Amino acid sequence: MKKFIFGKLSLDALPHVWYTVGATVFIAVLGIATAILLTKTRRWGWLWREWLTSTDPKKIGTMYMIFAALMLFRGLVDAGMIWLQQSIAADSQGYLSAGHFQEIFTAHGDIMVFFVTMGFFFGLMNWIVPLQIGARDLAYPFLNSLGFWLTVAGGLLINLFFIIGGHFANTGWLAVVPLSELEFNPGVGVDYLIWSLQLSGLGSLLAGINFIVTIIKKRAPGMTLMKMPLFVWASLCGMVLIVSAFPVLTATTLLLWLDRFFDMHFFTATAGGNQMMYFNFIWMWGHPEVYILVLPAFGMFSEIVATFSRKTIFGYVSMVCAVILITLLSYLVWLHHFFTMGAGADVNAFFGIVTMLIAIPSGVQVFNWILTMYQGKVHFDSPMYWSIGFIVTFTFGGMAGLLLASPPVDFQVHNSLFLIAHFHTMIVGVALFGIFAGVTYWFPKIFGFKLDERLGKRAFWFWLIGFYVSFIPLYLLGFMGATRRLDHYAASTSWQPLFITATLGFCLISCGLLIQVIQIIVSIKERKHHLDTTGDPWNGRTLEWSTSSPPPFYNFAVVPTVTGREEFWNRKKRGYTPPKHYEDILLPHNTGMGIYLSVFAFFLGFALVWHILWMGILGMVGILGCMIRISFNEQMEYVLPAERVAELEAAKGLDHGK
Amino acid sequence: MKKIKWTLGILALLSAALAIFFILGSEKALLTHPKGMIARSERDLLITNILLMLIVVVPTFIFLFVTLWKSRAKNAKSEDPEQSQGVFRELILWIIPALVIAVMIVITWRATHQLDPYQPIESDVKPLTIQVVALDWKWLFIYPELGIATVNFVQFPARTPVHFALSADDSPMNSFWIPELSGQIYSMTGMVTSIHMMADRAGEYTGRAAEINGEGFADMTFIAKSVSQEDFESWIDQTKRSSLQLSYTAYNELAKRSKKNSIAHYSYVEPDLFDKIVKKYMHHTTIPQ
Repeated sequence: MKKFIFGKLSLDALPHVWYTVGATVFIAVLGIATAILLTKTRRWGWLWREWLTSTDPKKIGTMYMIFAALMLFRGLVDAGMIWLQQSIAADSQGYLSAGHFQEIFTAHGDIMVFFVTMGFFFGLMNWIVPLQIGARDLAYPFLNSLGFWLTVAGGLLINLFFIIGGHFANTGWLAVVPLSELEFNPGVGVDYLIWSLQLSGLGSLLAGINFIVTIIKKRAPGMTLMKMPLFVWASLCGMVLIVSAFPVLTATTLLLWLDRFFDMHFFTATAGGNQMMYFNFIWMWGHPEVYILVLPAFGMFSEIVATFSRKTIFGYVSMVCAVILITLLSYLVWLHHFFTMGAGADVNAFFGIVTMLIAIPSGVQVFNWILTMYQGKVHFDSPMYWSIGFIVTFTFGGMAGLLLASPPVDFQVHNSLFLIAHFHTMIVGVALFGIFAGVTYWFPKIFGFKLDERLGKRAFWFWLIGFYVSFIPLYLLGFMGATRRLDHYAASTSWQPLFITATLGFCLISCGLLIQVIQIIVSIKERKHHLDTTGDPWNGRTLEWSTSSPPPFYNFAVVPTVTGREEFWNRKKRGYTPPKHYEDILLPHNTGMGIYLSVFAFFLGFALVWHILWMGILGMVGILGCMIRISFNEQMEYVLPAERVAELEAAKGLDHGK
Repeated sequence: MKKIKWTLGILALLSAALAIFFILGSEKALLTHPKGMIARSERDLLITNILLMLIVVVPTFIFLFVTLWKSRAKNAKSEDPEQSQGVFRELILWIIPALVIAVMIVITWRATHQLDPYQPIESDVKPLTIQVVALDWKWLFIYPELGIATVNFVQFPARTPVHFALSADDSPMNSFWIPELSGQIYSMTGMVTSIHMMADRAGEYTGRAAEINGEGFADMTFIAKSVSQEDFESWIDQTKRSSLQLSYTAYNELAKRSKKNSIAHYSYVEPDLFDKIVKKYMHHTTIPQ
């Protein structure tokens, strides 16, 4: 009976060591404080109506960002703990046990990849893709809300182990077999990882489908594929990767779970399982995933470099070809993640060579960015700082990547800190720098005021210098023979000073992040001084700058007709008066269904982690019930009459007149 | 004020560069100071690749900074610069990196075959075969031709090709790495992988497990010692006198999970132990008690 009600749950699962108790208390305090604040200001209803149930991509985008920012702090704490341990654990155990240390780096990886980087990118795409293609909404507004809430459910599940369970997976972020099999990992940590990725992966898949359909079907009249802004191109390619790769992740982790739950033997060492197959599967998803993390950033830099050089991007066609080529090649390189598994020379050489081919389109992109600045009129606003920092960092990271692509060199640097330094160069120096550049660039569009430039530039310097101080030592440590994931090491290796340097770099990065927090607070407080009344604070080139800042909830009063690649720039040059003839606008209703469904999905995930049958059935029935309920919903949209649009537009004019 | 900032920045960059050269030049940088022919070839390949890339990267960086300097808004001439376009110009941008990559591809194809870990090293000296079993969390070395075995310690003569046959027992995926002698290769249960290496001269090197494998991961190191032929023979004699013997029972005991195992020498090892360990996962055979 007890087993029926509680499954594997017992009192031992409650927090009883310092970090789980600490995290539980922290989460509780944060939750209670938020609840008190909302009750006092009577904002519960507002929160529910205006935000949580919203289907407006600008609001969903903002929620993605807030969620990703919270997760960034969580992941950063992990990073600090990892480096602190490695700074002191020469010839001693440090302050963390081996198991705890391994759980931390596993959580760090999963959180940073799935929730921070992908969360920010989905947020930015929600903000900007519809505006750039002249659309009022995404193709499937409800799916967008559902995708977001499934991601949140996954994010909650990955953090829930603090409160219930106490242990996360200690397998590395990809849950490598056979270490993640029942034999070596009987606890619930790996199950938390699996079900968190299942939920958030499903969310990403839905978002991917949504953006592809939106970009294909909802472009403004006249915007042919080759007239799309490069950020839209990069997003489209990233989403194609998501839709083709994420099902592989879902299937692979599901097979792993079957191994663990039904004692099957897909990937076990014993009874005919094949552990090497897991490596193939997980990297068939994993390598495209890497490009999912960087492609949108490439697109953003293309937009920013052109805007701040006051010049059309150099080689638009080359840029599009480069992004498509990278997308295609990214499917053909997965084996370079395990040259060391002992495949023959022909196989290794093939995958090494295809990997090297990726350097060609990447190099072309770098040339094109620089040539866009060449003979331009470069304005050094902070998005441009991030872009230049990115170009330099990306080039170094790419060089390191090319070294890793050569199998014989890889035998020496694989699994070493050199590898860690390489992919952090890509994810921090490309993806995160891109995110910061993009947020600074598009923030005034979404909120109507600019972020404080002085603080933004300061944050940039802290991030840039902090990044190099952190990761150059890691490259060097790789050359000194330091493997990744070591919870302690012999002092005779002389690694300690470099680990300490890396930790100093981490402090600089933390300062950078702190300045960014202050920057946002200061900018909100002093928003009167940074207001953007024109809708075009940077002298932009693409359609998103043609509407007001913040855009009305229907984005465009009149759907723009596109005649060129840089529609808004052309309009500014030609002189253009927007027509005053409005039409009825069809807009999606808000819906709480995304939340309800995700709550049930969360319970299903929790039940599968703890083997609680009744809760699993409840979750399933709930999900099915929600789906049936949605299918009866015939009133998904409402009409905003033309007269109302005219009123709203007129009021906006008055506002600006003040 | 601005001048001070620039000076400080350049000073910081210079001292960082100095520190990097100092570190890479010191003996502690194992990868830049190889002690075996395979590791040396791997290092040379690394340097060749870096130099090849610099052919493109250095001019690119110079061009980037000159462009930034010249195109600053203050310096820029035109108010609304036009972008000149041309298919030819775009094509050149594809050809430059493609040329360098083409050279790297040829080098990679050759080097991957030459440095294939399965490839025996050509030498007049008869190679020594050592079987390696990764256990949770220690390394077992079996000398099949000599009938001896060791734990967390392996010894072999210098300037003699050594062939390591790798497997694992009841342990997650492991990676066998002696950075100063050669790159790594995975050792997996039920599989046999191979790696060849040869030490230049006598010396003691650290070996590691490089793939995460659970709690005892950080301590799963071993000592690899290359010695002269005479020293090696006297070491064999010494080992043969050891009181420890690796019978099936002793092996089953050893295979149980344990951390920080000290070095052990076995004067006897069951002759088919390695085969039995590998086949345990293939044919449902077991290792006798």
